[in-house]
Amino acid sequence: MVGNEETVERLKLIAQDGNMPHMIISGLPGIGKTTSIHCLAYELLGKTMYDQATLELNASDDRGIDVVRNKIKQFAQTKILLPPGRHKIIILDEADSMTPGAQQALRRTMEIYSNTTRFAFACNQSSKIIEPLQSRCAILRYNKLADDQVLSRLLEIAKAEDVKYNSQGLQALIFTAEGDMRQAINNMQSTVAGFGFVDDVNVFKIVDQPHPLVIKKILNSCCSNDGKGDIDTALRLLDDLWNKGYSAIDIVTLTFRVAKTLPGISELKRLDIIKEVGLVHMRVLEGVSTYLQLCGLFAKICTI
Amino acid sequence: MPDIQDFFGAKKPAKATANQKKRKQQDEIISVLSDDDVVDLTSPEPKKSEPKRRRTTESPKKPAKSAETSKKTVNGSPTKSKVAKQKVEESTKNSNSADQNADDVLATLPDAELPDVTESKPFSFAQKKDGPQSSGMSVDIDAKENCLSGLTIVFTGVLPNLDRDQAEGLAKQYGAKVTKAISGKTSLVVLGDEAGPSKVQKIKANKIKAITEESFLELLRRMPAEGGNSELALRAKEKRDEEERKLKEAVEREEREEREQAAKKAKTSSLKNESSQNTPSQPTTSSADLWTVKYAPKDTSQLCGNKGQINKLQSWLASWFDNAKSGFKNPGSDGSGVFRACLISGPPGIGKTSAAHLVAHNLGYDVLEKNASDVRSKSLLNSNLKSVLSNTSVVGFFKHQHDQASVNDRRFCIIMDEVDGMSSGDHGGAGALSAFCRITSMPLILICNDKLLPKMRTFDRVTLDLPFRRPTENEVRSRLMTIALREKIKLDPTVIGQLVQATGNDIRQMITMLATVSRTQKTIGHNESKDMAKAWQKQAILKPFEITARLLSGQIHNPNANHSLNDKIDLYFNDIDFTPLMIQENYLSTRPTNVTSTKNHLERVASAADDISESDIINSLIRSGQQQWSLLPFHAVMSSVKPALSVAGQVTLRINFAGWLGQNSKAMKYQRLLQEIQYHTRLRTSTDKMQLRLDYLAALQHKLTTPLLKLGEEGIGEVIDVLDHYYLTKEDWDSIVDFGVGPMKAEVVLKDISTKVKTAFTRKYNLSTHPIAIYKTGNSVATGGRKQTVDYEDVIEDDTAKDEVEEEVENDQIDAKKDKLIKEVKPKKKRTKATGPAAKRKKT
Repeated sequence: MVGNEETVERLKLIAQDGNMPHMIISGLPGIGKTTSIHCLAYELLGKTMYDQATLELNASDDRGIDVVRNKIKQFAQTKILLPPGRHKIIILDEADSMTPGAQQALRRTMEIYSNTTRFAFACNQSSKIIEPLQSRCAILRYNKLADDQVLSRLLEIAKAEDVKYNSQGLQALIFTAEGDMRQAINNMQSTVAGFGFVDDVNVFKIVDQPHPLVIKKILNSCCSNDGKGDIDTALRLLDDLWNKGYSAIDIVTLTFRVAKTLPGISELKRLDIIKEVGLVHMRVLEGVSTYLQLCGLFAKICTI
Repeated sequence: MPDIQDFFGAKKPAKATANQKKRKQQDEIISVLSDDDVVDLTSPEPKKSEPKRRRTTESPKKPAKSAETSKKTVNGSPTKSKVAKQKVEESTKNSNSADQNADDVLATLPDAELPDVTESKPFSFAQKKDGPQSSGMSVDIDAKENCLSGLTIVFTGVLPNLDRDQAEGLAKQYGAKVTKAISGKTSLVVLGDEAGPSKVQKIKANKIKAITEESFLELLRRMPAEGGNSELALRAKEKRDEEERKLKEAVEREEREEREQAAKKAKTSSLKNESSQNTPSQPTTSSADLWTVKYAPKDTSQLCGNKGQINKLQSWLASWFDNAKSGFKNPGSDGSGVFRACLISGPPGIGKTSAAHLVAHNLGYDVLEKNASDVRSKSLLNSNLKSVLSNTSVVGFFKHQHDQASVNDRRFCIIMDEVDGMSSGDHGGAGALSAFCRITSMPLILICNDKLLPKMRTFDRVTLDLPFRRPTENEVRSRLMTIALREKIKLDPTVIGQLVQATGNDIRQMITMLATVSRTQKTIGHNESKDMAKAWQKQAILKPFEITARLLSGQIHNPNANHSLNDKIDLYFNDIDFTPLMIQENYLSTRPTNVTSTKNHLERVASAADDISESDIINSLIRSGQQQWSLLPFHAVMSSVKPALSVAGQVTLRINFAGWLGQNSKAMKYQRLLQEIQYHTRLRTSTDKMQLRLDYLAALQHKLTTPLLKLGEEGIGEVIDVLDHYYLTKEDWDSIVDFGVGPMKAEVVLKDISTKVKTAFTRKYNLSTHPIAIYKTGNSVATGGRKQTVDYEDVIEDDTAKDEVEEEVENDQIDAKKDKLIKEVKPKKKRTKATGPAAKRKKT
């Protein structure tokens, strides 16, 4: 397990002592929620009991209210001989996609059978879990992985798989993954499969997204110069992007995302910029995805 | 206010230089500055009687700067800062001699300026323009433990640097009591910008010490531990000690009880073992239980809060069978005697189910529980539960479960948990259940979270209503401390406030939280709790009202408030359907911060309105055939965040529910009626809907009502002639009258026509047959319209539900009338009715 040391530490202790509480593990995709629940269940129950004493349901299974009332309840009622401090575990992956009705049906089940059965939920947004269930669970949040944590893991994999890479390539991988380990590894695999060598050009070819830093530079130059804006630099950078073949929609959506967190400007100005970007986004979606639109957009931002 | 101008003019250059100094010549000037100010600070404020305004507005700022700069020097030049620091320490030591108390320290702090109630506005503008002096001020203050103990503090207005929550947390952390309203007991008010005028008046009336935020921080730094020796502080300390003692007693008692119980259990189980010898006695290791089970209340006195409701429940349940004898005719002292069932409602985790079970258990009832994990559809309820409800069958039901004799006279009650969790699978369950509530001959306890849901309405009058509230911090504290003591965790009592806030007063959550955290740490102090509270913050989906209140309040947009744009956009995503509507409804009811003039206010409102109208264009792109959902974040910004930012400030009026829904459904209704009239009249009129409304309807209305107004019953014939000429029906007459505006408004016109004439008109109309061009045009539109609203079932709050209901009622009336019409004419025409909608659908 990489990152989130404190949470993982807590899980380790639970694995040692047993008596796992009901848990909700929430966090962004690809940071190891499902993995950690599986590891925990495996450690708690051991090889022999693991198959018998766990019930795993994910979004691919039917999890309507009937399943909760029948399958889950029946599983909770079955008796399995386990060492003290160990419980049957019901793993509900992607619990945020369960209907509220099904979640409602879990409430009392969780309480009544808590001396034999414990629940573990994994979800992306804990707000999608109804409040009564949150109230019954220990909520563990996984934070985004830091870049160096992803890097160390990538280096391990690269070593094990004998991947050729350079440092820019890894940087690009980390950048595009945005703390999502699974995405980073997947991107690395596809880069290796496609080109055999991991450098930034290849990675961006695979990921195919204009570089956010470039967009940031464009926006910064638009806002620089005491409000007058440096349109020439901005357009030069835009030309680069355009000539690389990125489509207008890609550029605009990314600009929107970057503008939301653009540092160093006031909220009001940021919202004004977003307004312009959004309006162009609308036009592009309506079919006017021309170079001229983008030029107009950045020229307009310069005047804000 | 002339001196404001002076003040402002004089202030600006000073500030500019200060800024420069900060950057360039930091070290030297700062040490000088701070030396000066330290002296100034610790001398017990002699200028109290001086001309106030000028003096006091400056003084709170100066110490702030000194404090800040002296902090800065710690990083900058260690040697000089040491000197400065030493001096501060010395001076504080001098004043910190043991016999100091809150009053002494308070006396040295400058009074905050109380804005005049009438003149408060211009003043705050001037001050606001200064901008926050030290943004991003850190809150780590080295104050002594419990230094504010015994003080009661009120925060009011927008504090320049601290979040309100932050400030209150700080005060609580150091042992102060924070209240919301100013009273005689308040010992001190921390005044921010734009304090409410009523509060200012109260401060003046009660002569309470008011200080600024800076002085508050200063106070924290300088108060001695345990709040000095003042009477209040001592009393507070005594109280704390007392509480601790009580806690220990409670813990001991509980442990003793548990031991006794365990011993008893062991005895019985060993007895059983001897007799049956098949099941090896499994010593249930208490550590394997969840804490929520282990420390579940075993006695009603252990339930936190809601004592009154629990007592009510108890007395209701106790006298149930007496009431049953009298046939539920006698309401009793609290009016609960007439109910056969009761409904407990309240948010999760506050002990509703526990209370119900405990009370039932205490009174010797057996409990039959049904909850959301059981199927509870109408048919199943009828087959399973109904048989249980009658007295005789119950005995048989229980006979084979319990061993022998004594059971027969045992009574039992039914607890239906999570009644609002009845979902689509439980078809008709709620209705059946409410029917049971009327006939049951066993006490029936229903439990739900939200009583206001439309589907819970059926229980309104048939059940005794017992709303449970979230327990307050004080009620929770002793329970949590008991648990912590028993688990040998060191828990700082002041932390509990934070936990309470993070979990939204959810006891169960707090216990789970303690259980989890205690695995790794055995002491929970203030620093840990902050992280905990953050990590454990329950992320429930906000209701539209809360979203709107947050977006429109100035606090979230304060640059120091640490709310990123993404946070605000997330607010929108809590409810993407209602947030825009709610903002649109309420954006006029704020008094924006930083407004310089009425014109400026209008400009802001205008820009907000512009954005909202643009957002409608975006919305149409998203929801129309194009389905451009990728524009949703943009819609969030344009419909909610940006307008909210322009008008954010103090919300002056009550936040209203979006009126758009009601208006929209009304508009749809009129469209439908107009369509119908157009269909009927088109043999004569040959215009479209719009033209008909603009050109014909006014004249028609005149023709259709004046004879009745002028001639009374004699005019009826004339009116019917006009109707027949245009192939209009009697309902069309109603809707045409409804369309009138101004002096021809429906209420006005209808009021003037006497009921006698109206009934005569109806009778006469029904007597004869009339030429009819097309039947039932509008009907298919109506059902289609209603079907669309079904999608909103989960989203729509009670207000809209009302709208829907109203609309339905209207539709029903129309349907009924139509049926009457059709029944009365020949059956042959019924077929046209059946084919009518189909034909119409083809057309559209």
